Amino acid sequence: MKWLKDIFKAWRRETYLVFTDIGVLIFFFTLPLIYPIVYTLIYNPEIITDITTVVVDNSRTAESRELVRQLDATQSIKIVGYAANMTEARTAFNEKKCYGVVEIPADYARKIGRGEQVVLDFYSDMSLLLRYRQYLFALTNVQMEKITELTAQKLSTGGLVTSGISGLPVDTQSNFLGDPTQGFASFIMPGLVVLILQQSMMLGITMIAGTASDRRRRNRGRDPYEYQGGSVAVVLGKALCYMMIYLPLSYYILTVIPHMFSLPHIGHFRDYMPLIFVVLLSTAFMGQTFQIFVRERESSLLVIVFTSVIFLFLSGLTWPRYAFNKFWLMVSDLIPATWGVEAFVRINSNGADLSDVGHYYWGLWALTGLYFITAVLLRHFTVKARRKALAQTSAATAE
Amino acid sequence: MIASFKRGMAQLASRKIYIFMMVIVPIGCAFFFLNLMHEGLPLKVPVGIVDLDHSSLSRRITRSLNATELIDLSSAPESFNEAMGQVRSGEIYGFFYIPADFQEKALSGRTPTLAFYSNMSIFVPGTLSFKGFKTIAVSTSGAIVKTTLVSAGADETLAGEMLQPIVISDHPLGNPWLNYSYYLSQSFLAGVMGLLVMLLTVFSIWQEIKQGTSPEWLATAKGNMAVALAGKLLPQTIIFSAVGIFIQSLMFGYLHFPLNCNPLHMITAMVLLVTASQAWAALIAETVPNFRLALSIVSLTGILCFSIAGFSFPVDKMYGGVAIFSYIVPIRYYFLIYIDQALNGIPIYYSRMYYLALFCFLLLPVLGLKALKKQCLNPVYQR
Repeated sequence: MKWLKDIFKAWRRETYLVFTDIGVLIFFFTLPLIYPIVYTLIYNPEIITDITTVVVDNSRTAESRELVRQLDATQSIKIVGYAANMTEARTAFNEKKCYGVVEIPADYARKIGRGEQVVLDFYSDMSLLLRYRQYLFALTNVQMEKITELTAQKLSTGGLVTSGISGLPVDTQSNFLGDPTQGFASFIMPGLVVLILQQSMMLGITMIAGTASDRRRRNRGRDPYEYQGGSVAVVLGKALCYMMIYLPLSYYILTVIPHMFSLPHIGHFRDYMPLIFVVLLSTAFMGQTFQIFVRERESSLLVIVFTSVIFLFLSGLTWPRYAFNKFWLMVSDLIPATWGVEAFVRINSNGADLSDVGHYYWGLWALTGLYFITAVLLRHFTVKARRKALAQTSAATAE
Repeated sequence: MIASFKRGMAQLASRKIYIFMMVIVPIGCAFFFLNLMHEGLPLKVPVGIVDLDHSSLSRRITRSLNATELIDLSSAPESFNEAMGQVRSGEIYGFFYIPADFQEKALSGRTPTLAFYSNMSIFVPGTLSFKGFKTIAVSTSGAIVKTTLVSAGADETLAGEMLQPIVISDHPLGNPWLNYSYYLSQSFLAGVMGLLVMLLTVFSIWQEIKQGTSPEWLATAKGNMAVALAGKLLPQTIIFSAVGIFIQSLMFGYLHFPLNCNPLHMITAMVLLVTASQAWAALIAETVPNFRLALSIVSLTGILCFSIAGFSFPVDKMYGGVAIFSYIVPIRYYFLIYIDQALNGIPIYYSRMYYLALFCFLLLPVLGLKALKKQCLNPVYQR
């Protein structure tokens, strides 16, 4: 009973500290409320369309003009003009008037007419992979269309094969799962929101610790606001406070935000909320473990902010986890957001249920256990060391 | 100036966190990015094949899929549903589906369908698996037509030309290897540098006010705020530039990232990035009257830079109201210089505006010198 009371009192003290500290409130509330909106606004155009492109047409025939029209008609490519030669095209490229150059050979129409193979050259700017990818998709589509068109034409005129073949004998069908429109916001946001939840909570928790350190420094080693209780009870009480704040927020961030921006959202509430519960719980304990690195209110920002970039990469959103080497795989396994992102993306975008991502879910519980133990141990030993130091200084002053 | 400079040096030596943030974190991050992505392209995407046909033709397709370097056939689910289950659990990123009676239909000209599924909820493996599947699907159907044509009496080269009347040979300029690390490491490491520079600038300026030592700081420059500020920040400029150039030398020198310009162009850009970020952050430190808030603002901009500077999504396709913000952060110009100079190797004339823009950032701190002096003479620390 006393123990439960301890938890309750630790929770009450922590809640008081959180709600009287504007800095922590900004991290706990403003960040998760605003960041997803800002990020989605940045990426909301989703796909890159109408990439400015220049044509060098050495053929200057009806056929080549038709090809240019077909390129221009794709969603991704926008032909902004003809260049007389490659030098002129190069200048346009240097001046950033275009990101790609299509060169049509002089014998284009003749070769098409004769049924010979014709080679087009395409030069692409490689500053962004996303742009190159759009180009490649569009060009492949135009190429396939042309091939089907020309093959059907030739087969029927050539009289080689006449029975029942129109175009190719095997159809191919490509299907996109998860993010069928291949939009960028639809891809990045479901993963990013999990990271935002983790990082904002980490910032808040470490700032609370840094502020306590500042208070101790001012009060000769004593923190008047610290709740003196058993380590287990205090760690649990604090975690209870963070969970109380973050559970409603995660509903907003995981359910309302996708609705606001029509992002992929086919997962079910009963699948992702239990998952996010463990992510938050393990983060609450991880934050209390990381508190050891923060000795000053403001240095929480220094220590935590840059880790967001590292954690983004460790989560496998940009660089897939199967390509990690053993070492980084192990490091990434220690971050709750890694598994949170993997599992949440599968639930949210691929419609997985909790049993499909069971290995991530139970892995998260293991992390929760690990960080709970480290948080309790660290608390136990730092409190003990602090009491000892305090006793020494008070003894010294008594003498 | 010399007195302020000495004071700046002494401050950096006073606590471990400065050296940690200026040297250990950036070099650690460089090691992280460069080591994590040293392969350049995440080949061997784990995928599956659902073969319901079990014919010689379907086995041939499986063999070609196996030989593709882009993908790794790591599983062979028995049914469509099982394959979908594996996609949902994250085991595979896509699968190839060969329907029953595939060979029979293909050879008798009844047009069967080869289907492939790529999980685009994670972009890179989704795209790579798509590319691998598409190549095999197209070449399979091509091979069948070729066989048909040749057996109908067509010449083999003629049949090949008939199948592919148009070939598009694409030339990815500057990065023909399609190396992901060339983008991600370049832009993200520069972004990390910018972020750390901004954090440290605000932190070191406000430390004086928080400790109440700012009048002494001002006294080292005999009350001249500009000199005191320059003197304090100069040691950081030197250390950060050295670290930045070291990271550049790792990428361009040791790892042979494309560097199609005079190395001095990139070194200048790095020094300018460091100083411009310092200037940007100094302005925030001067005008925002609260340590935590100033630090929060530079963290916010530093982190948003990764998105807004257009490292992955192009600025010209963002909403206009969002895109303008990309032009008020220094890192955007560094990124553009990198593209122009190191990657594309175009004449420096075309990048002149970017260098100029970075120079202009250096004038920013002038705007807030008065406010900072007031703060320094009467240091107030608010939580």
